[in-house]
Amino acid sequence: MLTIWGRRDAFNVQKVMWLVGELELAHKHTPAGGSAGGLDDPAFLAMNPHGRVPVIDDGGTVVWESHTILRYLSARYGVGTFWSDDPAARSRAERWMDWSATTLQPDFLTGVFWGFYRTPEAQRDGPAVTDKIARCARHMELLDRELADRPYLGGDTFGLADIPAGLNLFRYFGIPIERPSVPNVEAWYQRLRERPPYREHVMLPFDHLFGRLAF
Amino acid sequence: MLRILGKASSINVRKVLWTCAEIGVHYEREDWGSGFASTRTAEFLALNPNGLVPVIEDEAGVLWESNTICRYLAGKHGRDDLLPTAPRERALVERWMDWQATDLNASWRYAFVALVRQDPVFADPAQISASARAWNANMGILERQLAATGGYAVGETFTLADVVLGLSVNRWVMTPIDHADCPTVTAYYERLCERPGFREHGRNGIP
Repeated sequence: MLTIWGRRDAFNVQKVMWLVGELELAHKHTPAGGSAGGLDDPAFLAMNPHGRVPVIDDGGTVVWESHTILRYLSARYGVGTFWSDDPAARSRAERWMDWSATTLQPDFLTGVFWGFYRTPEAQRDGPAVTDKIARCARHMELLDRELADRPYLGGDTFGLADIPAGLNLFRYFGIPIERPSVPNVEAWYQRLRERPPYREHVMLPFDHLFGRLAF
Repeated sequence: MLRILGKASSINVRKVLWTCAEIGVHYEREDWGSGFASTRTAEFLALNPNGLVPVIEDEAGVLWESNTICRYLAGKHGRDDLLPTAPRERALVERWMDWQATDLNASWRYAFVALVRQDPVFADPAQISASARAWNANMGILERQLAATGGYAVGETFTLADVVLGLSVNRWVMTPIDHADCPTVTAYYERLCERPGFREHGRNGIP
């Protein structure tokens, strides 16, 4: 049995739930972190020494780090669709996963979603937020150029490249910030919104997080 | 012939160079990045739209993002010892690579840019101290992991996780902060010096 620990509204947990939905894997979800707590429990720390979610246990195999989990589940259950035996084919998705983790997510999720949306107005660092919104605009313009000649980030079909980057879109287009004109990104976002797992696991209301740093 | 674009002093280029040394891949390296050819030119941006080094090019095409490049090279050359193909064993290596790229990197950035690069924009003593504390705390996690494995980041043998973490340890040792006591990390740092690739591209005097 596959068990996933984490809050359903946690960004990194949603990446995993989205893929679990795409692969139609039977699973058990256990809330952890935030108001559910449990991250300091010795049993949880024994699974993940970093005390973070998501964590999965797949029949005794414990994995943490959301992108590692995505690749693990793909290699186990998605050969031929989400996983290729060809290292070059895999690398075309993996570079966008790494880019999302090291560039897009720090600027959007940490810089804008936390720095602007979740931080009460009186506590916001205005210049830093403005800088991060501008950086995100450049990231979206970059994606717009990439998506000019293909429907999905990794190529002609939906794949792992789309999950970490595409997860940002529901929140990016859902909060009151200035955005550039990026028609190719919007068309990609629309394609993602048509996927039932995206609707089920990603398009969850987040307005309870507005102006609220604790959860 | 493998082409590597990026200056040899960049920590992310060094990951790729060390990986090539472990595999025994021959390559031609070109100096790109600050102080050398600009990565903001149309020529470079056509290869990597993010304008960052390293970039590699071989018969399969162009690739960027350092950890992805290291995984690709290990896969291409069938180096199961550096990155296993079995999903579970592979994940044991990859999770430490992802941790390095996200949590560990984010923790040292402020202190490193302030104390080594001496960038005047990064001069807030409170933020330097918070960054050093977070960095030491992450080294504490690595300390406990290495104590559990008794050897390398994932187990008794060297993997790609040690390439990315070994360079991070070298940066930690060489940055003038008040270092936490991490004897197992120190022993690991010495153990890595048995490897010619680490001596040439890791512990080579560059933070």
